[in-house]
Amino acid sequence: MTRQNINRFALILVGVVAFGLPLVLRSPTYLHILILLYLYAYLTSSWNLVGGFAGVLPLGHSAFIGIGAYASTILSLQYGISPWIGMIVGGILAAIVGILIGFPTFKMRGAYFALATIAFGEGIRVMVENVDNLGPLKINGPRGLQIPPTNIGFGNYMFAGKEPYYYIILVMLLGILAITYFISRSKLGYYLNAGGEEPEAAMALGVNVARAKLIAMAMSSFFTALAGTFYAQFTLYIHPKSVISLDFSFEIAFIALIGGRGSIAGPVLGALLLRPVSDFSRIYFGSTLPGLHLIIFGTVLILVMIFQPRGLQEPLTRAYNRLLDKIFGGTEQKEITHEYS
Amino acid sequence: MKTNFKFWGKLIAIFAIITFLAVLPQSPSVWATDNVVKVGNIIPLSGPSASVGQQGKNAREMAVEEINAAGGIKSLGGAKLEMVYADSESKPEKGVAEAERFINTEKVNVLTGCWNSAVSYPTSAVAERYGIPFIVPVSVADKITEQGFKNVFRIAAKDSWWTRDQFAFLKDMEKEFNTKVEKLAFVYENGDWGKGFAGQWKALAEKGGYKVVLDEPYPSTSTDLSPVVQKIKRARPDVLMLVSNAADAILLTNTLAEYKVKLKAIIASGGGHADPSFLKAAGKNGQYLFDIVEWETDVNKPGAKEANAKYNAKYGSNLTGEAVDAYLAMYVLKDALERAGSLDPAKIRQALATTNLTGGPGMIVGYDAVEFDETGQNKHAALVMVQINDLGKGLERITVWPKSARRGGYKPIFPMPKK
Amino acid sequence: MIYILEDAINGVLMGSIYGLTALGLTLIFGVLKVINFAHGSLLMVGMYAAYWAIILTGVHPYVALIIVAPVMYLFGYYLQDIVIKPIFKAEKDVREPITVIIVTTGVWYILDNLTLLIFGPTYRNIQDNPLKGKMLEIGEMFISVPKLWGFVTAVVTAAAVYWFLQKTRMGRAIRATSLDREAASLMGINQFKVYNVAFGIGTATAGIAAVTLVPFYNIFPSVGVLFDIKGFIIVVLGGLGSIGGAILGGIIIGLIESIAPQFMTATWTEAIVYGLFLVVLFVKPSGLFGVKYDW
Repeated sequence: MTRQNINRFALILVGVVAFGLPLVLRSPTYLHILILLYLYAYLTSSWNLVGGFAGVLPLGHSAFIGIGAYASTILSLQYGISPWIGMIVGGILAAIVGILIGFPTFKMRGAYFALATIAFGEGIRVMVENVDNLGPLKINGPRGLQIPPTNIGFGNYMFAGKEPYYYIILVMLLGILAITYFISRSKLGYYLNAGGEEPEAAMALGVNVARAKLIAMAMSSFFTALAGTFYAQFTLYIHPKSVISLDFSFEIAFIALIGGRGSIAGPVLGALLLRPVSDFSRIYFGSTLPGLHLIIFGTVLILVMIFQPRGLQEPLTRAYNRLLDKIFGGTEQKEITHEYS
Repeated sequence: MKTNFKFWGKLIAIFAIITFLAVLPQSPSVWATDNVVKVGNIIPLSGPSASVGQQGKNAREMAVEEINAAGGIKSLGGAKLEMVYADSESKPEKGVAEAERFINTEKVNVLTGCWNSAVSYPTSAVAERYGIPFIVPVSVADKITEQGFKNVFRIAAKDSWWTRDQFAFLKDMEKEFNTKVEKLAFVYENGDWGKGFAGQWKALAEKGGYKVVLDEPYPSTSTDLSPVVQKIKRARPDVLMLVSNAADAILLTNTLAEYKVKLKAIIASGGGHADPSFLKAAGKNGQYLFDIVEWETDVNKPGAKEANAKYNAKYGSNLTGEAVDAYLAMYVLKDALERAGSLDPAKIRQALATTNLTGGPGMIVGYDAVEFDETGQNKHAALVMVQINDLGKGLERITVWPKSARRGGYKPIFPMPKK
Repeated sequence: MIYILEDAINGVLMGSIYGLTALGLTLIFGVLKVINFAHGSLLMVGMYAAYWAIILTGVHPYVALIIVAPVMYLFGYYLQDIVIKPIFKAEKDVREPITVIIVTTGVWYILDNLTLLIFGPTYRNIQDNPLKGKMLEIGEMFISVPKLWGFVTAVVTAAAVYWFLQKTRMGRAIRATSLDREAASLMGINQFKVYNVAFGIGTATAGIAAVTLVPFYNIFPSVGVLFDIKGFIIVVLGGLGSIGGAILGGIIIGLIESIAPQFMTATWTEAIVYGLFLVVLFVKPSGLFGVKYDW
């Protein structure tokens, strides 16, 4: 068995386990936690297209979640259009907004870009909170929109159990991982990587960095917005402070940085660590010692960053390779495929 | 790299422990339900609404201790109420996740919560889906009991009743003191709650023939409210009506006093103005303010004084309307469980729907009975208006309206004297 | 007309206090090249320190500065030394270590929630202080005395920090490090010591800002968050790293918040602030008063 075959086998195994999990794990509580875990892994992977490749730190991605959630919800509540179609509409809308905001901001670097995207996200939230009606569309300001849980069915993107949601988000996650994989091997990925590290040099080589970044931004906003629709259909209630919140934007960036930014597996690893920490610490301490769960969360953030500033992905890859070495005695020093560059 | 491995070892160990703990409580709770009634409570315990959440928790604890000490639920063989709490952080998605966990993993028999209307909507939908009774002590938005749900029961009055009573109070005051009020100003936090009130105020003002000179939402994260106060001052209203959370209520009250805004009355809507911190932090500036609440310490009900004294000794502050609703909710639940005589959610739901609680330690509220209409709204929930004043023993909240509930010998101060 | 003047004065006073809250943020960014997301929490810690100093000793709020400023300096110094320095060491070759942002956010969560655990969610303010509710009345015009004190403190603090950076040996070392940390190291400047001092000073200014706020403001565990985002906007408006720019940026925000509500609802002023912020970023990314650096 060659190294490549082993990797392929491991990936298939993970896939089978992920698909089979709901058959074994009957508790909706854990399914719910897993769905949120996948949702965050998906969001972070979408974020990664910009935040990972292009070498900038966007902290306003919840604005796109909001655009997706509001677009599909308004269309389905007011015009009876299936959220599946609304999801695509929201995605396209978000991509346009992403290009509009990316156009001027990509000129900025480092901290300026991060702060500009925070202001963009917060600005969108304030707008939504201030507008009750936008032309014929009922946005309902700070009161938010509620989706009546009555029309259950696939066409309405609404289900009684957790399993359908689980499979939808799992497929979405696998999709975005595949897309990230292909982009990382494409010219676009190469351009982005080059532009992120040495923009001047890349430009001197005739790479249109700005265009590459805009394409990445459009894709990133598009995919983020799709998750907005999923979130709306999953919780059945959206309001500006929940979907367009800074907390949301921050947590996405945290997961990416903890997992290892700019890698395919990073977002998944980050979500695998941070989501359980945040969920279980809240469950165990949230009621007895209010605030302790956030202290734990903060401590984990600090510890991982101190010991693994490049994220979990690097050491885990190394450990995985060493494990393979031990088992198969191979001494090949080939990096596993989960990485760009 | 050696240190790294140690670190990873530790991390994995912590992880393993957390996962272990997570799986552990699943098993015993399944068969321990026979003489325990599990009540899941979802309230904000951290974040901006932590103060209110903590009061709700304290009140529930006190009620449950009393109920359990008195022998629990007799029709269930003396079953004890077992409380489990979850922190919603005022976030809807956390509330939903906790409701799912409570129902599926903790196997709670009843849910209560969530104070923030924004959390209560989606959470009540979860309860409805599983057919678990959901008691809402306080979350005032009308919508909550108007979703067509069968399992939602609200103790508190809904916001259309709050606003209706505020205007009724104003009319009564005008008559009693023979003072004409013409111009109103509405100032409210820009959220679900404030917007809900303001919408109804507008309609009521129009019906009552008042002129609205200012209709101003403000962001509850404001760091400076003097621009809003200036607007109030320049609009020259007779009466100012407010909806505020705690931090902004204190800031607004102090700023109004600093700018010497002359008003005939200020009518607040509970929430921040009813927070125990408010009296301490606003001090003299809060004097003569009217606040609409569900309950006040001077209510003329047997047991109210004792309950408040007990609560104060235990937790260091007076019972608030919100806390009393939570306290009462536990007794409503007890009553329903006694009649249901079963832990079947459908039976508990049926018992709750036919509630007619008129006495017992929980009934320290101003009205005489708890009965739910077909939407699950407590039909009798009534509100009182209090005035903050100093009768020589420091500032206190004195019930002034309806007149039948007014504290003996107290004459409300209306209009506000010029300071 | 008198209204506009009154609003403008309030805007300048409150705005200068905003500027003071953001002063440490801009200083820390100028030197360490990181956005300190924990700055609002440091302000909150300062407010609690001031609160207890004033309550326990009963002194005039501004006397508490003698205690609060040094305590906050030490707090910041060791926070940087113990928590943030390791990351700088691990990421030596990165100009703007993004990981530090995560660490400061972790510090924010820890500080805010530790305060919640220890002091509870109660809202506190200092009832008996000689500044509370004092107003200067000039005819029709009202000017808040505690805010006036805050304004003076903000200007004095900014001037002192500026003087320190220009005239003292340590100040020059800080500036040298902020311009080029490798070159400064080669000149024999201990980079990490400079970081500690800069972080300490930044935290001390947050403490000073806290003292100006406590006479008229509420103190509660999540109070810092209210000033956080505002601080980011101010420092970018004024130019990241610019001391005077922070105060001026604060005053601009203060003026918008004070005057704009007279023409629209207060909730829209937030949108105006974000809009202005984005426009400035697009047109003049180095900020209104910033020097053009290459970041």
